[in-house]
Amino acid sequence: MKSAAEQFDEIPVTLLVALAYVTLAFVTDPFEPTGEALAAHGWLTPFLAANGEPWRLLTCAFLHGGILHLVFNLATLLAIGPALERSLGSLRFLLLYVVSALGGSIGVCLLYGIGNPVVGGSGALFGMMGALVAMNMRSGRHLLAFLDFDGPRRLFASIAGNLVIGWVLPFVSNTAHIGGLLAGFLVTFLWLDPGRADRRQLRRWRLAFTAMFASLLFASIVPATRYDWLWNQGVFVADPSRRERLQRAAAMSCYGLHEATAADVARFHAQFLEPLLRSRDAPGTGR
Amino acid sequence: MSDQPETDLPDRAVGGFRLRAAHLGLLLVWIVAAAPVVLWFVQTRDPELAVRLAATGWQWLGRVGLAAAVLGIAALLYPPFPAWLRLSAHRTRLSLTNDRGALQRALGELRHFESGPRHLEVGRLALAHGDRDAARRHLQRAVELDPGLAGAHHQLGRLLFLDGTFTKALDAFTRAESVDPGHAFGDALLHGGRCLHLTGDTTRAADVLRLHAQRHGGGRRSAFWLGEALAANGDAMAAREAFRAAAAPPPARQRLTAEENWFRARARVRLWGRGGSA
Repeated sequence: MKSAAEQFDEIPVTLLVALAYVTLAFVTDPFEPTGEALAAHGWLTPFLAANGEPWRLLTCAFLHGGILHLVFNLATLLAIGPALERSLGSLRFLLLYVVSALGGSIGVCLLYGIGNPVVGGSGALFGMMGALVAMNMRSGRHLLAFLDFDGPRRLFASIAGNLVIGWVLPFVSNTAHIGGLLAGFLVTFLWLDPGRADRRQLRRWRLAFTAMFASLLFASIVPATRYDWLWNQGVFVADPSRRERLQRAAAMSCYGLHEATAADVARFHAQFLEPLLRSRDAPGTGR
Repeated sequence: MSDQPETDLPDRAVGGFRLRAAHLGLLLVWIVAAAPVVLWFVQTRDPELAVRLAATGWQWLGRVGLAAAVLGIAALLYPPFPAWLRLSAHRTRLSLTNDRGALQRALGELRHFESGPRHLEVGRLALAHGDRDAARRHLQRAVELDPGLAGAHHQLGRLLFLDGTFTKALDAFTRAESVDPGHAFGDALLHGGRCLHLTGDTTRAADVLRLHAQRHGGGRRSAFWLGEALAANGDAMAAREAFRAAAAPPPARQRLTAEENWFRARARVRLWGRGGSA
């Protein structure tokens, strides 16, 4: 009788992810998806993630902004995914994909403009490349032994090349790429393939990074000092003095002020918040 | 007693260096983990204070970064700092390329048959990985089983030197040198001389270090330590000569090792005060 994990290992996760890419692409129009369609099906903006729609942190990793975006990401997924899934097992591969996707989304939420939408699975794909680096590091006689071989050196070159492309092209979010890369590398290095690392040290690092990941995920969903979240909190608060303080804090956060007056609050509302609330149709931004 | 021992032992166990870097790294990770939670908590009581704290935090991060950049540029002009950077990078690379497989194989062989040389091998590898407790146990056992094992005395001496117990380290190096004169290319003699200096016997230290230079050709570390011993003795002229030897430019087309470079940089600074040139 197979265990649940063994049964799960028979599920082809890479194939399912690829199917999800294609299915969602056809639902939203694979060639020129509109902003409304992508928004309705889960694109990520830091504003939406922090204001009642945290599931977008994951759903954005399955959407794409056009046929080229879809084809490029599918090709990368099918090039790396199957082999990686065979090495790690389906359950651990799924964990890697989810953590890497979340890592990319966390990077976007913490460092991107709050209204800029992001779609695409390349944060998770960079996470898979990070996982390959981590596995190479763990498999050698020592952590840098893999640099003696041509294949791993080419992997580095590939990662660097993709990051350069991300910087050059205007609609690509390198923040998501780097967030996914780091998340994928760390989850593999510390959990999925820890190799012969000292267990006591490993436990300390696992605990520290789990706390950091959870905390940054929390900060993406509850950005306690960001103006849009502060303002939104104020809307639902019954106590008028607390509402006023939240609104002043929002204006302070937006304009970088040490103190905010009623005029600052009114200016913030008119200049910034109303357009953001009206706007759902910003141009798609790939990743 | 002289300055802290660990700055004088450039080839100390890289595992110890890695451990300190790891602690600092862990601390930084925990700080990053705590910040969002702390800010959220503060926001529930006083949202304006939370915004000010966050803004102040980012400002200070920017200032610290700028200060670090300015200091870094200024420090590059101070010879020991780039030498220290190079030495740290070398130690980091060594710590990342430390093969744990060798230690595990040595432990396996020891379990199969206990002997002095096998304890020595495990102790040596444990010390290289920064596990001083294990290294101490195995090296002491190696010395018990085989008192004629010069390597065990030498490695034990290095461990005691790292611990700062220079008197015991001197005994260990002396035993290594008496069992096998010139052991480890004179390293036991060299460190014995340094222990003499650090325990206050600077006259004998200078003699031993001169002997090391005669028998084993010296080297920049040997010359630097000799200079320090002579300076402590009050022999400024001889000290300057020793520092000049340590600070001499490398021969053409020859690159100094990270450790040699470190001692050369320190010797150059010592010569500044003495009006010497290097």
